Amino acid sequence: MRVLIIGAGHNGLVTAFYLAKAGLKPTVLERRDRVGGVAITDEIHPGFRCSTLAHWIAPIRPQIVRDMELERHGVRFTQPAVRVFAPGPDGRALALYDDPSRTARELEKQSALEARRYLEFHDTIARIGRVLNSVRSVTPPSIQSPSGGDLWSLAKLARRFRGLSRANQFRVLRWFPMAVADLVGEWFQDDLLRATIAARGIFGACAGPRSAFTGAHLLMHAAADGHGAGAATLTVGGLGALTAAMASAAREAGAEIRPHAEVTRILVANGRATGVALASGEEISGRAIVSAADPQRTFLSLVPSGELDPGFASKVRNYRVSGVVAKVNLALAALPKFTAAPADGAALLLSGRIHVGPAIDYLERAFDAAKYGAWSSEPYLDLTIPSVTDPSLAPPGAHVMSIHVQFAPFRLRHGTWSEHREALGDTVVRTLETYAPGISQLILQRQVITPADLESTYGLTGGHIFHGELAPDQFFAMRPILGWASYRTPIQNLYLCGSGTHPGDGVTGASGANASREILKDVRKRG
Amino acid sequence: MKYDVIVIGGGHNGLVNAAYLARAGRKVLVLERRHVLGGAAVTEEVFPGFKYSVCSYVVSLLRPEIIRELDLPRHGMEILPLDGTFTPMPDGDYLWRVNDHAKTRREIARHSRLDAEAYDEYGKAMVEMGRFIKPMLAMTPPDPTSRDPRGLLKLLALARRFQALTLDDKDHQIQLMTMSAIDFLDRWFETDVLKATMAASGIIGTFLGVRSAGTAYVLLHHYMGELDGAFRSWGLARGGTGAISQAIADAARAAGAEVRTNAAVARIVTKEGTATGVVLANGDEIHASAVSSSLDPHRTFLKMLEPAHLPGDFVDGVRRYKLRGSSGKVNLALDALPDFTCLPGPGRHLRGAVSISPSVDYMERAYDEAKYGRFSRRPYVDVVIPSLTDPSIAPPGKHVMSCFVQYAPYHLTEGSWDDKREEFGDTILDTIAEYAPNLKSIILHRQVLTPLDLEREFGLTEGNIFQGELTLEQLFFLRPVPGWAAYRTPVRRLYMCGSATHPGGGIMGAPGRNAAMAILRDTRLR
Repeated sequence: MRVLIIGAGHNGLVTAFYLAKAGLKPTVLERRDRVGGVAITDEIHPGFRCSTLAHWIAPIRPQIVRDMELERHGVRFTQPAVRVFAPGPDGRALALYDDPSRTARELEKQSALEARRYLEFHDTIARIGRVLNSVRSVTPPSIQSPSGGDLWSLAKLARRFRGLSRANQFRVLRWFPMAVADLVGEWFQDDLLRATIAARGIFGACAGPRSAFTGAHLLMHAAADGHGAGAATLTVGGLGALTAAMASAAREAGAEIRPHAEVTRILVANGRATGVALASGEEISGRAIVSAADPQRTFLSLVPSGELDPGFASKVRNYRVSGVVAKVNLALAALPKFTAAPADGAALLLSGRIHVGPAIDYLERAFDAAKYGAWSSEPYLDLTIPSVTDPSLAPPGAHVMSIHVQFAPFRLRHGTWSEHREALGDTVVRTLETYAPGISQLILQRQVITPADLESTYGLTGGHIFHGELAPDQFFAMRPILGWASYRTPIQNLYLCGSGTHPGDGVTGASGANASREILKDVRKRG
Repeated sequence: MKYDVIVIGGGHNGLVNAAYLARAGRKVLVLERRHVLGGAAVTEEVFPGFKYSVCSYVVSLLRPEIIRELDLPRHGMEILPLDGTFTPMPDGDYLWRVNDHAKTRREIARHSRLDAEAYDEYGKAMVEMGRFIKPMLAMTPPDPTSRDPRGLLKLLALARRFQALTLDDKDHQIQLMTMSAIDFLDRWFETDVLKATMAASGIIGTFLGVRSAGTAYVLLHHYMGELDGAFRSWGLARGGTGAISQAIADAARAAGAEVRTNAAVARIVTKEGTATGVVLANGDEIHASAVSSSLDPHRTFLKMLEPAHLPGDFVDGVRRYKLRGSSGKVNLALDALPDFTCLPGPGRHLRGAVSISPSVDYMERAYDEAKYGRFSRRPYVDVVIPSLTDPSIAPPGKHVMSCFVQYAPYHLTEGSWDDKREEFGDTILDTIAEYAPNLKSIILHRQVLTPLDLEREFGLTEGNIFQGELTLEQLFFLRPVPGWAAYRTPVRRLYMCGSATHPGGGIMGAPGRNAAMAILRDTRLR
């Protein structure tokens, strides 16, 4: 049975793999010349390769890694010893290690209480994370008419939840709607530590640390990584190596992958999806069409208008998809010297994520700008220097730096992103100068990817890296639209498998795996 | 002399609590620290001839069953309609919504035809949502972690009621519970000033901005106000807000409760983990079989009890409970009426609320300043001139004007509220004078209340008018402390009955009534 998958990002590839494995004949149609979607590696300067967009993994669900045998297909995951390094402007810094007891030993130098609290926090996050993680792999139940299976999986979740201690049950309930600033305020004294942890609650979100429900963000990330410091898994060769391996696994399982195949229309007859039309004019028919594109692109540009119920279409239009993230990639002649990272320890300290956003107020001010349609003059940065652990990415002694920039709202109130592109790049470099003086002299090449580029080049509507705001009105059974969270759509045989579906955060492959399970259920039902 | 129940605090919730207990035959004593009853629902003649509703100034949320059961109209409560909301705009235009639906529609259509249509739909949807939430107000919140089947059945019943909603209503309900007021209103409306003014009700009393998630819920809170069965109307009490407290106090006394003013409680007395009475500031000890505190948990548990004798995680929960006042109040005695440039003269527009909320950005910027510990230089102000509707509260020809102001953060980054009081007052007047330039020349007296004054004078910790923020992590079974939302406390026979308990603040009376039911249940079992 032929199935067409629109988009060869990580979720599209995971879906293709599982469908092929089950004996279907998936064809993945990719608009660009390469697979990977947002998980790609590009040469940004001769000899310098960098994860163009996403730069760490959230991480991939272990089941997917095993099923796809990603390691056999060439992926090498690296888990840096320092998960997060957070320099302060005063030369002080914080390092959160992969090993929480090591972090505690470091924190103890400042405060024994803080060290104890960190361990307790890490443990709490791990425990709660394990329970929430099971939410990530279920298909959200139907809200209108839950099936027996839906009720069963809800009952299982409720049981797991009630398996937590009473204190942790209440933590989940309280933390979910909370502002992450208040959450970290209950745990920690040090503003730098508070801000470093709180950043997990606003990563990729149109929210500041004082925004309600950023606690939910933190919990969702905790569900994926279960670590007090957050995820920082890298892949050798950049994230493009991951999706290349996924593509190889999918092909081996029997999937066909066609680059340069831009889908411009989903063909619908009598309320059923029957195939797609490509930009070249070619029409391909398929028994099922699975879109890894975001919900707005799928329903508002690919599905012919008129095929959707107007009420549904208006809900899709109201789906919030205005991004706040830009990306800057640098080719550097040498490793930048962070004031807070002594030369002898630099390679270790700079091996994971580097968090720039030294105070809760700093992060909040960075967000303030976005509310008024401007980008932050002092942005929150989440960066990696992957060449520290993976020398294959840059010539000897040289480095690449990948910088996730917040806040850069997709909709600017004044001017366009092409006018602001270089100014944004300058602001990022100026911000970095505060922590790594002299970095601007090391820059050989600078690539600035604005939210407008994320939409036009990479196909992310609204420039949103998660295919739509991860807010509670767009979580779980509401993602993307209440009543349509089971990866099915109002058009028969048309499915969604991208980040615009549950759980839909970061590079985890979870949406693709869940979607393929539902598609296979339908296929089997029809025989 | 021994009482069945001592109620600490003679605010509206304490009085409601006492009235229900007395009606059930309990011997009740209410102790009020101040010389006047009412707590934050109080009328005081601050300047001769001018009666101010000093703190709370409008009413809409008071539960109809309480009005009925306590027969408040017979005890002298009369609610006068407050007609509409008038929003002056800096460009000389205005938005004026009134209780007359057709007229409001025409007015909104003047700004946007689409919005006028959406306004009807919106109203209908909100009424539906209000219907869903309303029964929850009178409910003792179940404990979701408990294995008590009664609690689970309650949760299941809630889930079933939710399940019975249409898909669209479910969607709205989830959006209301989670979105920001502006994100929610953006789905319906395009007129900026309309959204700004509607969103204002979502931020009153909270330390949140109109773009902060969680504020949409409070929009609904304000749609639940019922007056004589009419959804969504606001009113003024004849004689000021204090008249409501007086009526409740009369009802309580008529049922046999004793009410004392100038009787500050210093301490709650406990014996082997059971509350046995209170000690007054003058040293008198009064015994009772139970104590019901209408004060906030910080006051009740950290000041009136020895926290060391309470379970550690409970005390942590009390300390974590966020009060964070964000509002202030300016009360003015006026020689004449303010004259708004955009709609001159003493028209009907002055009989409603005048809302200084000209744009969404204006509202959000006001919040931004407060986030960093300054009061807003250009605040949101909700102005009411009650003397136009109720001439009894001011000398003939003169007026009383109440200005509710946000944001005024309790914690200032620089300086203290004692030093900033007058500057704060000037800021409010400057703000209103931009729209009504004659204001400053008609002021006879002014009273400025900062969050610090609200704390000192009215016992509202950190100046929070709702005895604790109405944010989701402090609502329903999480209010005030997770696991202690059923009006009971770790101290046996000590109860909470104030706005810090479910369903929260405003002149609603529901906490006082719900707590009375809990107390009656427990004492019946004895």
